[in-house]
Amino acid sequence: MGFKKKIGVVSFWVAIIIFSIWTLFPFFMAVVTSFKKLAESYTPTFIPYLQFKPSFYAWTALWGEEFQMLSRALINSIVVGGVSSFIVLILGCLSGYALSRFIFEKWKNKDIATWILSLRMMPPAVVLIPIFLMMRTLNILDTWRSLILTHVLFNLPLAVWLAMDFFNELPKEIEESALIDGCSRFGAFLRIGLPLSSSGLVAIYILSFIFSWGEFLFAVGLTYNRAITFPVQITSLFLSTEGLNFPRVSSLTLVAITPPILLAIPLSKYLIRGLTLGAVKG
Amino acid sequence: MRFVGLKNFYTIFVKDERFWADLFFTLLYVGSVVVIELFLGLGLASLLSRRFRFRNFFRIIYLLPMTAPPITVAALWRMFLQPDEGVINKILGLFGLPVIKWVTDPTLARISLIIVDVWQWTPFMFLALLAALQSMPQEIYEAASVDGASRWQIFLFVTIPLLFPIIITLVLLRAIDAFKLFELVYGITGGGPAGKTESLSYYIYLRGLSYFDIGYASALSWVFLIVVLGVSISVLKSLRRKL
Repeated sequence: MGFKKKIGVVSFWVAIIIFSIWTLFPFFMAVVTSFKKLAESYTPTFIPYLQFKPSFYAWTALWGEEFQMLSRALINSIVVGGVSSFIVLILGCLSGYALSRFIFEKWKNKDIATWILSLRMMPPAVVLIPIFLMMRTLNILDTWRSLILTHVLFNLPLAVWLAMDFFNELPKEIEESALIDGCSRFGAFLRIGLPLSSSGLVAIYILSFIFSWGEFLFAVGLTYNRAITFPVQITSLFLSTEGLNFPRVSSLTLVAITPPILLAIPLSKYLIRGLTLGAVKG
Repeated sequence: MRFVGLKNFYTIFVKDERFWADLFFTLLYVGSVVVIELFLGLGLASLLSRRFRFRNFFRIIYLLPMTAPPITVAALWRMFLQPDEGVINKILGLFGLPVIKWVTDPTLARISLIIVDVWQWTPFMFLALLAALQSMPQEIYEAASVDGASRWQIFLFVTIPLLFPIIITLVLLRAIDAFKLFELVYGITGGGPAGKTESLSYYIYLRGLSYFDIGYASALSWVFLIVVLGVSISVLKSLRRKL
């Protein structure tokens, strides 16, 4: 190996590792801080046992007086994320399939698709107030239903686009031969289209679950007590008394971060596919 | 509620200085994060498009910030950026550097928000660009290097033009999402100091659901929507023209 090439390799790895540290540092700090006592959390120490004695109080505190509130919020988040992503998946697949296989005459397919994506341009703050008023009139403020409806609304555009791309990539011929053999259009969709694009469906589900889990503005505006989601619940704790209690902030934040990460790591292959597909074609 | 005609819009455009300040900050923020994330993402993607050991491992690591809920990211960084107790200033202190007033100085507070956004969303740019780089036809590179082009020349004159359509899409997607800035402001700075980090989303939220001035907030929403649409369309047009 020549000298110049060696420098290249070294600087390559330096860049990779610096960026890894930059990416992982907040997660690492959160884990370390969550095992500290309050007084120790203000000192820059990083290695348990060597630099400080680990304490589990921030974690056992999760089972304290706030346990009921936190577990209810966690269940709310799981239900809202799970159900809304499921609805998004079904509606997104059907409309993506329709946009990919049928030719619309009056409004062109491309126009419909662009219009659907333009819904994503709308900042949540813009529609928050009208949706708040609607939910109040329907009398479903602070329920799962109101959150599920709004989460479906803002996750659907991306899902339709991803589904459309997946179906565009599938060769039409397989479905056409099924149609000739006497399969109905819906049968061809169910028996051939869906199974062949299953990896794409996983991507749609994960992405929309992650967005629904992390969604904040609608959750803050539309719920206040019974249906409050986990991120909103813990934020109201931070902004009140516990703001400077770093170990508590860390352990609660880690609980909020874990579900999407647990989904993302084993299924990262699909997630990356979902992130890139629309972009690759430009 | 009473019908007031165009009074709210008149107030927004003529009297409401807070709106103009927030609009300026939002535009500044969107512009900075999109540009920084694009260049960082491009650099990383071209690094990781080489084949090496553990590539998938690093790809998963780089993906992690995106999956975290923005409000928890805000909570974490708020903790790190505290001027007296935060770990970043403590680490700087270990090297004998002075304390930096991350969230209490007006300019630094803006920079802090941009840093956090870059931390969370560079991975998005990077992953999308990496996939694009990997789907490029290899023959073009071979042809260019046979013709004697250096690596830099290939990157500047072959890769970038080929990537251009994807870059447009990504810039647009990121800009649209950056306009929605709310959680970081809500969690880290609360709009302060002196309203210097207040985004339009945050202002609308305050007007509508904190002050319950719903009519005025709805008028603000309309203006905001028109700004977002205007910027998106002009980005799309000006970038398309350069092709």
